[in-house]
Amino acid sequence: MLDISTLRKTNQSIIALGSHPGILQSMLDFDFLAGKSEPDLKGIVASGRKYVRLFWGDKEKRIPVYSSLDMIPNSVKTSVTLFLNLTSGRRTMSSTLEALKEFPRLKGGSLFAENMPEKHSIEIFQKLNTQQFIVGPSSVGLLIPGYLKLGAIGGTQAKQLVHAHLFERGNVAVFSSSGGMTNELINLVTGAGKRISFSLSFGGDRFPVLTPMEAFRAAEKDKSTEYIVYFGELGGYDEYDLIDLIQKKHVTKKIIAYIGGTVSAMFEIPPQFGHAKAMASRGEETAQAKTAALKKAGVSAAGSFTEFIDLVKDISSTDGPQKDHGGSAEMLGKIQSRTASWFINSVSRDKDGSVEIVGEDLLSLATKRSYGYIVGTMLLGKQLKSQETADFIDFVMKLLVDHGPYVSGAVNTMITARAGKDLVSSLVAGLLTIGPRFGGAINQAANHWIEGVTQNITPYDYVESIAKKRELISGIGHKKYRIDAPDPRVRAILAFTKNLKHSPHTDFARDIEKITTAKKGNLILNVDGAIAAVLLDLLSQKEDFTERELQDLVDSEFFNAFFILSRSVGFTAHYLDQKRSDEGLFRLSPQEVGWAE
Amino acid sequence: MARVKLTEYKAKQLLFNKLQIEYQGVAAVVDGKKILFSSPLSMLSSGKRYAVKVDQGVKGRMKKGLVALDVHKHDIKSIILKIAAKGFSQFVIEEIVPHEQSQEHYLSFERVREGILVRYSSKGGIHVEDAKDQVQSFVMHDSLPSSMNDALQLPEKFFKKMREFFEENYISFLEINPLVVSEKNWHILDLAIEVDSTAAFFVKNSWADRDIVGDQVKSEEEQKVKHLNDKSQAALSFTLLNPNGSIWNLLSGGGASITIADEIYNLGYGKEMGNYGEYSGNPNKEETYLYTSYVLQAMLKSKKKKLILIIGGGVANFTDIRTTFKGVVQALEEYKNDLKKRKILIYVRRGGPFQEEGLAMISAWAQKNGMYGYVSGPELPLHAIVQKAISSLRKSNS
Repeated sequence: MLDISTLRKTNQSIIALGSHPGILQSMLDFDFLAGKSEPDLKGIVASGRKYVRLFWGDKEKRIPVYSSLDMIPNSVKTSVTLFLNLTSGRRTMSSTLEALKEFPRLKGGSLFAENMPEKHSIEIFQKLNTQQFIVGPSSVGLLIPGYLKLGAIGGTQAKQLVHAHLFERGNVAVFSSSGGMTNELINLVTGAGKRISFSLSFGGDRFPVLTPMEAFRAAEKDKSTEYIVYFGELGGYDEYDLIDLIQKKHVTKKIIAYIGGTVSAMFEIPPQFGHAKAMASRGEETAQAKTAALKKAGVSAAGSFTEFIDLVKDISSTDGPQKDHGGSAEMLGKIQSRTASWFINSVSRDKDGSVEIVGEDLLSLATKRSYGYIVGTMLLGKQLKSQETADFIDFVMKLLVDHGPYVSGAVNTMITARAGKDLVSSLVAGLLTIGPRFGGAINQAANHWIEGVTQNITPYDYVESIAKKRELISGIGHKKYRIDAPDPRVRAILAFTKNLKHSPHTDFARDIEKITTAKKGNLILNVDGAIAAVLLDLLSQKEDFTERELQDLVDSEFFNAFFILSRSVGFTAHYLDQKRSDEGLFRLSPQEVGWAE
Repeated sequence: MARVKLTEYKAKQLLFNKLQIEYQGVAAVVDGKKILFSSPLSMLSSGKRYAVKVDQGVKGRMKKGLVALDVHKHDIKSIILKIAAKGFSQFVIEEIVPHEQSQEHYLSFERVREGILVRYSSKGGIHVEDAKDQVQSFVMHDSLPSSMNDALQLPEKFFKKMREFFEENYISFLEINPLVVSEKNWHILDLAIEVDSTAAFFVKNSWADRDIVGDQVKSEEEQKVKHLNDKSQAALSFTLLNPNGSIWNLLSGGGASITIADEIYNLGYGKEMGNYGEYSGNPNKEETYLYTSYVLQAMLKSKKKKLILIIGGGVANFTDIRTTFKGVVQALEEYKNDLKKRKILIYVRRGGPFQEEGLAMISAWAQKNGMYGYVSGPELPLHAIVQKAISSLRKSNS
C-alpha cells in the first residue's frame, strides 16, 4: 500500500539495484536541493568498483557499491526502506524478490526496466505484503516534492528539478502510465502556477505491480492532494475500475483526465500505439468510450488536449503559493559549477598551510603519538582506536627492520651499492626482491588464517586441503628454530594477544602449528605467521574490522606493507655500510656458479 | 511489444508434445511461386482428406475464406497458391477429423492478475461469438468446478497439464476452438497461442522469435526500424499509415506520441498522417540517426506535393535531447538536398535534459537550410506544435 504522508514523515534509505549514474546523480541533486543533510541513496548493488563517485552539491561523494545483496553490511540492510531497481528486464524479478527478502524494513520500490515478462510482474505483486508498494515495471518512479525522488521522474538535470518547482508542496497529484507524459504533466501543472503533491508513473505494461487504482486511493488518503491530473490511454479497463471507485465514494477528489488514442478510431485494424497495454481490442477499451464513461461518472474528462490544458489551468491553489523548501539559486549554482576531481584521497591533505594526516595535524601527532600509531593510521586510512594496535605495529616495525646481510634483498642492495649505484637505486634493487618467497609471507599467512576462521573448517582438514594441492602453508616453518627450540621473537609477538577476549585467528594458527609440528619438528609458527595472526585479531577485536574488511586488506597486500617499510631501514643501512667500507665491484668466479649438465 | 502470436503449427507442436500426442501437421511457406513444406507431401495419404489453413494469426479465418476443408492430397499445392494470392505466405495442413457440430466446444486460458482465467462453452466453433452468454469462466485453482466437467467432459489431469504448459512457456493467452469431444476421445482442431515476447530469454526448448507470426507484409522502412529496435536498449517503433501522406512524424515517448497523433486526427488531418511511431528510452546518437533516416526515406517517397515534418515529444525525464538531436540533425544533413527540393518545413517541440543545447542546434540547422517551420521547448503546449504545422499546410493548400 502506498502511503504518501508516511513517506513524507520519515527519512528514507535507498539502495539502487543496478546502476544508472545519470538517474542516481539526479536523486542526489534532488536531496541536496531539498536541503537534506545527506543523500537518501545509501548504496548500489552492481559489479565493478567499490564506489561510484557522485556529486553532493559541488563536492564529490563516494557511494558504496556492493557486488551482491549479501555483501551489504547488516547495519545498512536493516536501515533500507526503499529500493530503485535499474537492472535489465531479465534480472528485475530475481533481484526484486531478493530485495524483498533481504531488507526487513522495506516499504517499497520502483522498477525501471522495460521488457519484463508479465508473469514476473504478477509474481512480484503476489509477494508484496500489505504495507509495501512497488511502482513499475517500466516506470520512471515516484516523486514527492521536497521529500523524495525515486527514479528518473521529474528529470535528470538539476535545472529541470528547480524549474518544475519540485521543492514546494502543492495540491495536485499527477499520474500516467507513460513516463514521458508524467513529466510533461508535471511541467504543465507547475507551468500553470500550480504545485505537485506527488506524482508517479505506473509504467505501460499490462500488469503494473502498483495498479492505477492504488495510486488513486493513495491520492484520496493524502491530505495535501486536492486534485488528480491523469493521463490515460486506450486499451485496458483501468478507467472502469476507477469509475467503480468513484461510485463507491472511495475516491472523492477532483479528477482531471485525458485519455489518449482517439486517433485509433480511424483504423479498421489500429496499429500498436505507445505502450504494451495500449491496444484497444474491444469497444469499451477505446479512448472515446472511456472518456464518455468517465464524464458520466463526474470526472472532468477532456475531449482534446487543448481542453485538458484549460481544465488544468482552472485548478485553484487553495493555500496560495507555498514557501520554498529548497531549490535556491545559490544551491543550483553550486551544482552547475562543479567539476570532477582527478583523484580522491582520504590519507592526508594540506590544511591552512600545515599537513593533516587522516584529519589530525601532523605536528601534533608527531609530538603525542608513537611512530607505530602514525604508520597504522595512515595505512588503514583512519585513526587507530586502540593503544594495543599502535603498540603492536610499533613493535613489528622494529622487529622486521633487518635479518642480517645474508637474505636476498640485502644481498641485492649490497651488490648494487658495490656497482657504484646511488642510494635510491640500491634500495629499490633490494625492495624489488620482495615477493612470494622473500618477505611476502605475512599477507599469504593472513589469507590462511582468515580462510580458517570464516570457512569453519577444522585445522586438520585445512592442513590436508593445502597438502593435497602440494602447497606450503605460509607462516609455518623455520630453518633453525624447532618445536623444542622455539623462536623467542614469536613468543614476544604472541604476547600481544594476552589481553584480548577472543583471538580466533591466533588460535587457528596455533592449532595448525600443533598439526604440522606433529609431522615435522621445524614446522612451527614463524614470525610472519604470528604477526599476521595477531594483527588480524587486533584489527577485528580492537579496531572493529569485519572478516570481509580484513579480506579486502589481504587483497590489497596490506599485511606486507610492514615488512617493506621496516626493511627499507635495513637495506639502507647495508647500502651505507658498503659505501663506508668502499668495496669494489662484486663478481662471482666460475667455480661459484655451477654448470648445469 | 508484449503479447505476440505463435504460428499454429508451432503452437500445436509444443502442446501436443506436452500432452504426449503425435502431431502430424505440415507447415508450408510460400516464396514467390515456390512452396516449401516442413515434411514431404508424399507422406500424406491419398485416402484421407485435409484442411489447409492460413497460419499467420488471422482471426476469423473461416469467415474470411482463409481455410479450405476437405482437400485431397493432390490439390493442396494449387489451393495454397490460390489463397496466397490474397497476400498470405504461411500455411498449415492437417488431417480432417470428422465430427458433428454439436461436438464442437470452446476452451481458452488467459493470464490475469489473479491467476489463469479459464473460459469455456459447450457451444464452440464459429458460433461461439453468437452464443457469448453461454461462455462461462473461472480463475483456475487446484480443483475444477463440476459444471465444467459436465460441459466438456475432460479429465482433471488434462487441466493440470495445461496449467504446467501455460506457465512453462510464458503463455499469455491460449484458445482451443473448436475442441471436439466425443465419447471416448477429444481433439484440438484449431489452436491459437499468444506468448509474452519479453520472455524469449526464459523459455527453453520452446518457442523462439522465429515462431512468432509476422504481421501483414511490412514496408521496407518498417522492417528496418524493427531490425534496429531488436538490436537496441531503447524502444523504437514505426508504422506506415499512408505512404502518400503529407504529415510525417518523428515522435518520442509513448504517451506524447499518442497525444500528437490525436491532435492531428482532431484537426481533421488523420488521413494525411504518413506514419506513426516513437523513440524512447534514451537511444544513442547513432540509433537516432538511423531512425530519423528511415522516417525521412519513407517521407521522401510520398507523392504529396506539400510535406511537413513534426519532431515532437514531451519533457523527457532522462532521454538526452542534445545527443538525440545530434542524430536527428545528422540524418537531416544527409537528406538535405532532397528535403530542400521538396520545400519541407520542420516543426519541433521537445523538452528534457539539455533541451537548450538540442533545440538551439536544430533551430540553427533549419534556419540555415530554409526549412524552419517552428522550434520550441516546453513553453509551447505539446499539441500546439501540430496546430502550427497544420496551419502551414492549410496556407499552401489555399
